[in-house]
Amino acid sequence: MAGTKITVVISQSQGKNPSKRWLEEELAAALIMDPDVDVSLVPHLYDLAADHTGMLFLKSVPNDMIVLSWLYPRAAHWILDRNGIKGHQGATLLKGADDDDEVDEEPPETSGIGPSSVPDRRIYCIDLRETSEPATYLEEIRRIAQETSVQTVDLMQWIQGQPEPQQLERYLNLQPADQPSNGNGAHPGSNNNGNRFSEPDAVKRRWYPVIDYDRCTNCMECIDFCLFGVYGVDHQERILVEQQDNCKKGCPACSRVCPENAIVFPGHKTPAIAGADGEVAGLKIDLSKLFGAPSALEMAVHERDVELVADGRDAVGMEVGIPQRQTGQPEKPRDELDDLMDSLDDLDL
Amino acid sequence: MADDLVFMMGEYQASIPGDRLYSKNHLSLLPTSAGFQVGFTAYSVRLLQDVYFLDWAIDPNTRVREKQEIGEIESSKALSTLYAPAEGTVLDFNEDLLNDPSAINTDTYGTGWLFNFETQSEFLSPPEYVKVLEAGWDETQRMIKGQIN
Repeated sequence: MAGTKITVVISQSQGKNPSKRWLEEELAAALIMDPDVDVSLVPHLYDLAADHTGMLFLKSVPNDMIVLSWLYPRAAHWILDRNGIKGHQGATLLKGADDDDEVDEEPPETSGIGPSSVPDRRIYCIDLRETSEPATYLEEIRRIAQETSVQTVDLMQWIQGQPEPQQLERYLNLQPADQPSNGNGAHPGSNNNGNRFSEPDAVKRRWYPVIDYDRCTNCMECIDFCLFGVYGVDHQERILVEQQDNCKKGCPACSRVCPENAIVFPGHKTPAIAGADGEVAGLKIDLSKLFGAPSALEMAVHERDVELVADGRDAVGMEVGIPQRQTGQPEKPRDELDDLMDSLDDLDL
Repeated sequence: MADDLVFMMGEYQASIPGDRLYSKNHLSLLPTSAGFQVGFTAYSVRLLQDVYFLDWAIDPNTRVREKQEIGEIESSKALSTLYAPAEGTVLDFNEDLLNDPSAINTDTYGTGWLFNFETQSEFLSPPEYVKVLEAGWDETQRMIKGQIN
């Protein structure tokens, strides 16, 4: 029945790049016709304010959801998480055929503190930069729709939970499938006039860090390093991005200082900072360090100083908030000494 | 003139000519009337292997600070950004390499030169450079192995 429809949200690109718009519209047009899918269009996820109708719509989706965006899946997932749109990361098979040597379906080892209270549903984040071929996405969306429709719909969770007003609204005023809004079957998730292809509510571009809590160890180095008051802690003493609009546009310094690479700036040009998964090294080795690349800490200090001076404050160089650990040390393979030390620990003397 | 030296990279002999100076980021600097003619060292070329592509991010006669990004290189084995060896002025580039960078491999210390550089900075003597290589060799191998895994 129609209740098992999966929600697909297309998050638009920031610019008006025609090829990106084309892909978005091709996908939307194809998905509207799909009886197993409920499709909506919202502006770029990263730019959405918490009270934007697009964000409110995302918050109202109770079940599994597929989010297509021009973002690395990791970035998209944690942007949603930050906005209270939580769920387990659904595995997509799109991620290029060249990743076949990796062990699939194996959850990555995480040493982070983890997100708080994740409901039992999956959010599949798909990067629209994977390919410009709509059919590839449609195939994957249908695969996921199949996968999720096999699961029984957990009505109890719905009944016991507290549906948001929008959820209730949607539940009580179900639009019949043959009475689409403005000639198509899409929910007007992103706007008020029901025209899916009109420009959604204008959003301004933003710049702020997003924390990946699967990696974050709550070490507090970011809060020590950032001198602009972006970070704070919650009532459980967990690090959070408290004043995101204090962040300096273009400055990714805290991300470079983070020992776990847990701070994502989705708009940064460097894939590792923008939330690409794992090591981004391709098939070739990167000799930049050999040829004199400044260390991450040097770059972070330089970037911070530029922003301090731009604010009319004094540059502080290496004097403030510098992590005490040794940086730039490559991870060395374990040697006999390491084994010996560990065996001593095990002796429980 | 100082003797030519050799640094052993495993089985490979990287020659370190005695007629020039060296920077810590593995460039050689041959003194000229206008400053230095800068090129790679045999050590860096051995790690790069066959160079496919070289691109400069700055124009001739640009003042640079140490570690400023000045270009990019791609070879059969590696990719790298290139950085200025010191504070100074990049006078002009070896135009021949832009069409065909193979001289970097075939004549590293001659026609494979990269750019002319004017600077007041101090550089390493051949023996000092060999010491840098000795000190960094293990770590370099680890870095490369770490990226391959």
